[in-house]
Amino acid sequence: MRAGPSQEDIRRHNLGALLRHVHLGGPISRAELTTRMGLNRSTIMALTSDLTAAGLVREELPRETGRAGRPSLVVRPESSRVYVFAFDVGPDRLAVARVGLGGAILDRREVARRRGPFELEELAGMLAGFARQMRRKTRDDTVCVGAAAAVSGGVRKGDGVIRFGPNLQAEEVPFGEELGRRLGLGLPVSVGNDANLAALAEHSRGVGMAVRDLLYLHGDVGIGGGIIAGGHLLGGHEGYGGEVGHMVVNPGGRACGCGSSGCLEAEVGERALLEAAGRLNPHPDAHQGREAVRAVVDAADRGDIRAQEALKRVGDWLGLGVANLVNIFNPEMVVFGGMLREVYLGSAAQVRTRLALHAMAPQREKLRLRTSSLADDATLVGAAELAFAHVLADPLEALARVQG
Amino acid sequence: MTPLLEVRGVDKSFGPVQVLHDVNFQAHAGEVTALVGDNGAGKSTLVKCIGGIHPIDSGDMLFDGAPVHVHGPRDAGELGIEIVYQDLALCDNLDIVQNMFLGRERRSGLVLDEATMEELAEQTLSGLSVRTVKSIRQQVSSLSGGQRQTVAIAKAVLWNSKVVILDEPTAALGVAQTAQVLELVRRLADTGLAVVLISHNMNDVFAVSDRIAALYLGRMAAQVKTADVTHAQVVELITAGRSGDLGLKNGVTP
Repeated sequence: MRAGPSQEDIRRHNLGALLRHVHLGGPISRAELTTRMGLNRSTIMALTSDLTAAGLVREELPRETGRAGRPSLVVRPESSRVYVFAFDVGPDRLAVARVGLGGAILDRREVARRRGPFELEELAGMLAGFARQMRRKTRDDTVCVGAAAAVSGGVRKGDGVIRFGPNLQAEEVPFGEELGRRLGLGLPVSVGNDANLAALAEHSRGVGMAVRDLLYLHGDVGIGGGIIAGGHLLGGHEGYGGEVGHMVVNPGGRACGCGSSGCLEAEVGERALLEAAGRLNPHPDAHQGREAVRAVVDAADRGDIRAQEALKRVGDWLGLGVANLVNIFNPEMVVFGGMLREVYLGSAAQVRTRLALHAMAPQREKLRLRTSSLADDATLVGAAELAFAHVLADPLEALARVQG
Repeated sequence: MTPLLEVRGVDKSFGPVQVLHDVNFQAHAGEVTALVGDNGAGKSTLVKCIGGIHPIDSGDMLFDGAPVHVHGPRDAGELGIEIVYQDLALCDNLDIVQNMFLGRERRSGLVLDEATMEELAEQTLSGLSVRTVKSIRQQVSSLSGGQRQTVAIAKAVLWNSKVVILDEPTAALGVAQTAQVLELVRRLADTGLAVVLISHNMNDVFAVSDRIAALYLGRMAAQVKTADVTHAQVVELITAGRSGDLGLKNGVTP
């Protein structure tokens, strides 16, 4: 039995905490770090010099402060030197980004994906190819410290296997392992659910910064979700938590891709909206995805009665789903992302009417409803945060491993 | 919580026509208050009274809890009240910076202090997370409807304003630009301003507002929290002045 954390544990924790401040908050003076972290000046100095020696941060004199006295050094993340690869696999798009420490997207590639079966080798090969192209353009002194992917489906926390992904047509796919092998960086690839990761992104860098209890709803073909409770993502026992899209709101309602019926996703997802608006076209090359959803909202705005009715109907179900979630989790903020941004703005009267009718008064009193501020980058930004997670947990060890 | 801006018992007549009857209205810092009502309900008149364009016949105006007298737009500006009108009042032949400082240019000595004005304009736009404008030296004539609206709003915010009143900011915009302007309206309030939004679009009102004030034939039918009302109730307040327990009793403010 251990008496408590050792000196070494405390130092590791403090290094991670300091790096997290710089990573999420951007350049910050040593003096400011001293107050924020509640550590004394010499400790901060020792920690920053360790991180500087490892090449994770650098210190600079600030620009003119206009104040008397020797200015405190500013600690900056080594954004152009230390980076991760972030991947996003959605039903309609594949994206890869090289993201620097501090969160800046340094380089990116994006291609449209045709809806169809999930071809693991082809897909992993293509993503790894993009990453290699980007890597070739980097300077010699740069170092890749991690890689992670956001996928539209349920992912097992332990090994990055996509267990179910009806909208990607993926089932039991060892995606993390295959992508890691193809990348050939000697790094494991962490894999997470796209909506879960987008929730983390909005919580750490988006509209939900400083919000500890947040509910994020992501609309794509289906509806995904991420629940941040007390500052932590609610993953559940094996990481499948947060599937708000498969909450049954209309028993015996429309059939859902998951095999059930009347799921929130079946009543609110792209297919439901397009069908209600009379715009569902089964042809594979037809207008679908975000563009088709935008076209419905646009038509409703111009006075198309069928499109207006479709949005009303979808807004009703969306509001009912959100009301249930608000009653259970009492979030401070609900964020609508992906295509739900457009759907919410186009049907807010219905959504909030349902909330007024079905959410309990104490829970809805201070509730804030917002749209995603990271927009289409939310899933990528979230994947990057997942890739940085182990670096922030133990900066020196993580760096030693990749430079080994 | 004291409202940042409050008017009490405002009456206003134009000749024999009484346009506002005993109107009470409040706007809180950090919130979007939607001002709704049918055409001719008195929305624009109320806003122009607050902005000092029309003198009020009777009633009180309080700013941050203290009584104030607004005798003209300049008084309102000094209190930190800015109004963005539907026509935006931007000059097509001037660039963004020139428009934002029009009539209130910064000088250093005899010449205009272009560098400072540019920096302030840049700061204001980036503070509002506006990324849609390419260059702040672009002529306003080259901007889209949504971008113009953004510039007009940024111009209102530039002067350390505390209350920003927006008259139908999304009326002439397409869906994509409406979304951007609505998100900007929300951000203004989230940074601590009191925002008053006049709109006819119920989705816009429900999407961003914290409170709804409904005018009916020159009377304030009700001022309610958006979280507590349904779409149908708001529509009834607008068209009939009452909805169940809410609104006017026998045509007068209870």
